[in-house]
Amino acid sequence: MLLLAERLAFSYSADQSRLRATSEATRGTRDAAVRDVSLTVARGSITGLLGPNGCGKTTLLKLLAGIITPASGQVLFDGVAIASQPRRAVARRVAVVPQETHPAFDYTALEMVLMGRHPHLDTFQLEGPRDVALAYDALDATGTSHLADRPYMTLSGGEKQRVIIASALAQQPELLLLDEPTASLDLGYQLEIQALLISLNRERDVTMVLATHDLNLAASLCDHLVLMRSGQVLAQGATEDVLTVDAIRQVYGVTADVHRHLTTGHLTVVPLSRS
Amino acid sequence: MAARAKRLGLVCLLFLAVAGPSRPGLLGASSQQPGSSKTVQPASARRIVSLVPSLTETLFAIGAGSNVVGVGTFDNFPPEVKALPRVGALIDPDVERILALRPDLVVTYGSQTQLETQLARVNIRTFSYRHGGIREILESLKELGAATGHTQDATALAARITAQLDAIRARVRGLKRPRTLLVLDRQPGALREIYASGGLGFMHDMLEAAGGDNVFADAKSESVQPSTETLIARAPDVIIEVRAEGLIEPSKVAAERNVWSTLASLPAVRTGRIHLLTGSQLVVPGPRVAQGTEMLARALHPDAFK
Amino acid sequence: MAPGTSARRPVHVRLAITVAGFGALTVLMIVLAPLIGSTHISLSRVFDPSIPFADNVDAQVFFVARLPRVLAAALVGAALATAGVVFQAMLRNPLATPFTLGVSAGSSLGAMLAILFGASATLGPLSPVPLASLGGAVLAAAIVYWLATQPGRPISTSVLLLAGVTLNSFFSALILFAQFIADYAQVYRAARWLMGDLDVGSFTPLYGSLPLILAAFAMFAVLPGALNLLTLGPDAAAARGVNVGRVQRMAFISASLATSAAVSLSGPIGFIGIVVPHLVRLLVGGDHRIVLPASALFGASFLIGCDLVARTVLAPVEIPVGVVTAMIGGPFFLWLLVRKG
Repeated sequence: MLLLAERLAFSYSADQSRLRATSEATRGTRDAAVRDVSLTVARGSITGLLGPNGCGKTTLLKLLAGIITPASGQVLFDGVAIASQPRRAVARRVAVVPQETHPAFDYTALEMVLMGRHPHLDTFQLEGPRDVALAYDALDATGTSHLADRPYMTLSGGEKQRVIIASALAQQPELLLLDEPTASLDLGYQLEIQALLISLNRERDVTMVLATHDLNLAASLCDHLVLMRSGQVLAQGATEDVLTVDAIRQVYGVTADVHRHLTTGHLTVVPLSRS
Repeated sequence: MAARAKRLGLVCLLFLAVAGPSRPGLLGASSQQPGSSKTVQPASARRIVSLVPSLTETLFAIGAGSNVVGVGTFDNFPPEVKALPRVGALIDPDVERILALRPDLVVTYGSQTQLETQLARVNIRTFSYRHGGIREILESLKELGAATGHTQDATALAARITAQLDAIRARVRGLKRPRTLLVLDRQPGALREIYASGGLGFMHDMLEAAGGDNVFADAKSESVQPSTETLIARAPDVIIEVRAEGLIEPSKVAAERNVWSTLASLPAVRTGRIHLLTGSQLVVPGPRVAQGTEMLARALHPDAFK
Repeated sequence: MAPGTSARRPVHVRLAITVAGFGALTVLMIVLAPLIGSTHISLSRVFDPSIPFADNVDAQVFFVARLPRVLAAALVGAALATAGVVFQAMLRNPLATPFTLGVSAGSSLGAMLAILFGASATLGPLSPVPLASLGGAVLAAAIVYWLATQPGRPISTSVLLLAGVTLNSFFSALILFAQFIADYAQVYRAARWLMGDLDVGSFTPLYGSLPLILAAFAMFAVLPGALNLLTLGPDAAAARGVNVGRVQRMAFISASLATSAAVSLSGPIGFIGIVVPHLVRLLVGGDHRIVLPASALFGASFLIGCDLVARTVLAPVEIPVGVVTAMIGGPFFLWLLVRKG
């Protein structure tokens, strides 16, 4: 098991210590963004986090990355609690691709990717030839090496997202956490990112957890799914077992048709109506 | 409040410095504007409000003190004014309180045009303060005498001041006139933000009468802000710093004189001729101008006063 | 050097080129600026050891009037420019300045109160007005810090900005009130203090600010890599191994310290903290590991140049240096923006 989350709870509004003290009693209160979430991520797997808006997917990703600290529960990475390790050490093994990245000042695409080397450098150390080589490698892997010298702000949405994925790859992570990596992209870019993620998973053995609204993306990409609603896990398991008509109705309140696609062999979801 | 009152000299002084030398339209006495409703008639004034410390002092000096019924915030001389009602000052005159005192003459700063207009509307005479050199002090003294029905007292006082100044000039005549830096203000404890007397105004006139040559006599303004470099280049023989009473604590006088020691090449520093003088007669352009001049002369020419 | 072409070179090469270039400019300014002034001096007399210092007017002009002043300009320029860089990165706001978070209002209030009450307290090399302005600046920074930080959590930059802007207004109101009850001369002196002044008159005032600015620079030295990541947002920075809360606190404390020390030395000289960082970014790109040292050097050169203009162009009359920085910095900045667009 690469990642193990045990009974995580987190609230943005409430006093964290109060939440911790009374987590048993308040399990089920409304103000917790995530409560009593436990999950496992196997090495080499791709896990999808599914659920409606505001169900706690993004918060859960931040908890798994150690960006925020749970009020109760813990995240174990490779058997060691993330909270007990320096940020730098965690970042050498876990990388995050957020929904969108807006730098306050403009950098070139290459500079953005080189920032992924930060956890591998000492305080006063500047990146060396090996770091630059790794950055170009990441640009190549995401098909963006021709953009290296372009200012990041001038790139299109898909190019930006690929550069950010390259930046995460430059961290050389074992685990990549992606928050709706295709949300703002058109069909062509969606397929491109999808193919990129599959190749990264297969060729570089990167374990992934991705939050998404796109059930078909999840069905084709993920071998494991976690269904969430109101900050809690409703179901988790193999994609085939979790992605059912009943589960979709329960989570989204939508009646959908789920069948196996003839060409791709993946499960395919066709939403029909609000139930 | 006492500490604030002590700063009155500074107020007048820097008011002069700020207001600038050449705004006769704004600062000229209203008595010179014929046809205006605020024209001063030769008459006696029985209830006077004065917002200008130097003219309050003058009113008492020409025998109109018993007619003063209200004064400005910063007035503290002569001691009689301490019992009088306060009605604001340059930037915050309190019209209601002024009117409540039912004055028949209000002495104002020349820049208080709005106040003067308001008073004109209710037919209260105003006497607008005019600043300048010693000559202007004596002129406004006589004009104020005419405006309050104390012409004779005022003329006599002006003659007395003129005689006192002439006596000082006579004492220092023929003596070597030291090149003098007259410092009006600066940051305490440092040679920064120095304000010195330029070549215009009563401070410059007093220095010249006291037998000193102003190192900034060529500056056509009442105050200058010389840089360190300019101070070194002007190389004054004597440095005189003047302040109103209480602006320099007695315990700090030695330290403040010592601040100048960084400019070791100044003749004044090398010979130790640095004077810190305090007293409102040094900085108020009023009837005590001769006393202030004598203080300067004694600092510049101690031997002449033995 | 556009960011596009420069990024190909390894960062240490770009850093070396930039520091060498801006460093040479700074050294040149420090050497040349003391030679120019309203009075003529002879260099051979300045360095003639046979003339006692007290008798040597040329040496006095050089070592008492000009050199401390040039060094003060270098120190203040470097401190304000780097504080601007750090605040902009930390707040993720290109319009932030060293004075955005209330430091200048606090120091102005301190200076105003010292002038109003005729303060006479001194501390080592700090005379009353600089001491009070330093106190006011530190107080303002401490209040903002106290309002915006919670233990163990990243600083909310929006709370920080709101707290700073509110404190700025509040202190400005206190300054107005102090001005109202003060008399004319004090108001005028305070207004003059606000225009900035580098004529320090000896080396002594520098000794008061130098240790604080050096301490701030020592803290700056560990920041730039993390600042790059902070400009992507706190989550993105944390995901790449930045201890966001600690870096933010260090950035805030060090930049406030540099600003406080600079303002207490010279008064609040505007425009340096926003013009210099942006000029430098246009020249060398966005990487803070290069922008920060380049801004320190260019800020020093820029303020030496502005002060040179201030003390010579209308000599013997001097223009307040804050007026010069605004008059040179503003149009130049606009021109660069237009040219870039």
